[in-house]
Amino acid sequence: MIILFQILFSFFSLFAIVSVIKKRKDGLLGVKGMVFWVLFWLVAVVVVLWPNSATIIANTVGIGRGTDLTLYISVAALFFLLFRLHIKIEAVGRDITKLVRERAIEGVEEKIK
Amino acid sequence: MIVAIVPAYNEEKRIGSVVRSLLQQVDRVVVIDDCSSDQTYEEAYSAGAVVLRHKINRGQGAALETGHEYARRVGAQYVAHFDGDGQFDAADIQNAYQHLQKNSVDIVFGSRYLDEKSTLPWFKRCIIHPVGRVVDRLFGGLRLSDAHNGFRFMNRTALETLRLRQDRMAHASEIPVLVRKHRLRYSEIPVTVTYHEYGQSALSGFQVVQDLVVGRFLK
Repeated sequence: MIILFQILFSFFSLFAIVSVIKKRKDGLLGVKGMVFWVLFWLVAVVVVLWPNSATIIANTVGIGRGTDLTLYISVAALFFLLFRLHIKIEAVGRDITKLVRERAIEGVEEKIK
Repeated sequence: MIVAIVPAYNEEKRIGSVVRSLLQQVDRVVVIDDCSSDQTYEEAYSAGAVVLRHKINRGQGAALETGHEYARRVGAQYVAHFDGDGQFDAADIQNAYQHLQKNSVDIVFGSRYLDEKSTLPWFKRCIIHPVGRVVDRLFGGLRLSDAHNGFRFMNRTALETLRLRQDRMAHASEIPVLVRKHRLRYSEIPVTVTYHEYGQSALSGFQVVQDLVVGRFLK
């Protein structure tokens, strides 16, 4: 069963890496972004194919199990991404405000003319 | 030229009388209709105001800054912030103008705590406002008795300096921070506030804190 999961995950990761490279080619992703996401999926494949590798790294930082280390890093990364997303949404909101403001003032100026 | 800036959202019942009372005190009244679904625009316009309409609701802070931008472009020398719900007394604008001239300050903040003219609900007086004062101090504001009072009066220097970035209610905390940052001269005067049936809920205070925190991470 675990082998089936490993095969499926490897294919999915391969698909994800191809998708990342395609996004880079289309200009939707920067070089840093591409390197981060390719490394991310390669590390994920290594951890899934050789589960002990995560445990070895976990032991060196004082955590018992590899799955625990993965979970801690994932939760921290998710919180960080959520925070960044929140900030981004707020910034987009402010840009919308600038447009709404300009339209409102232009509307009055046109009436005066 | 004195311009009164009145942000309004669904204020069709009171905006007309507010505009008419303001026109007796100032040269121009600018109502920013923040995408109201009622007749606010028509009522304000027929009462004699210049009405700027936000096509999308952006909040009170955004509406005030729209009024600022308009006032800058038309060359206003003085600007008054005034609520559209009829809680303020337009006669306080003259007091603020005289106080600003006499004391050589850039901005005058209205306060409900400097005399007994205003009757505050006890929950606001004893809970919301003291907590608000602590939050404002934490975020680097001034030591004001009533920072979240919507009545303000400023000169051209303050108008050019104060560029509001907080779209929602956190602008009331942002203004004292900007005044302090740019070393504007400020003062407080007592103003009359008559409470009607509606107002901000206590929960909106949490939104203000959240906006202030997020604002720290934005350029």
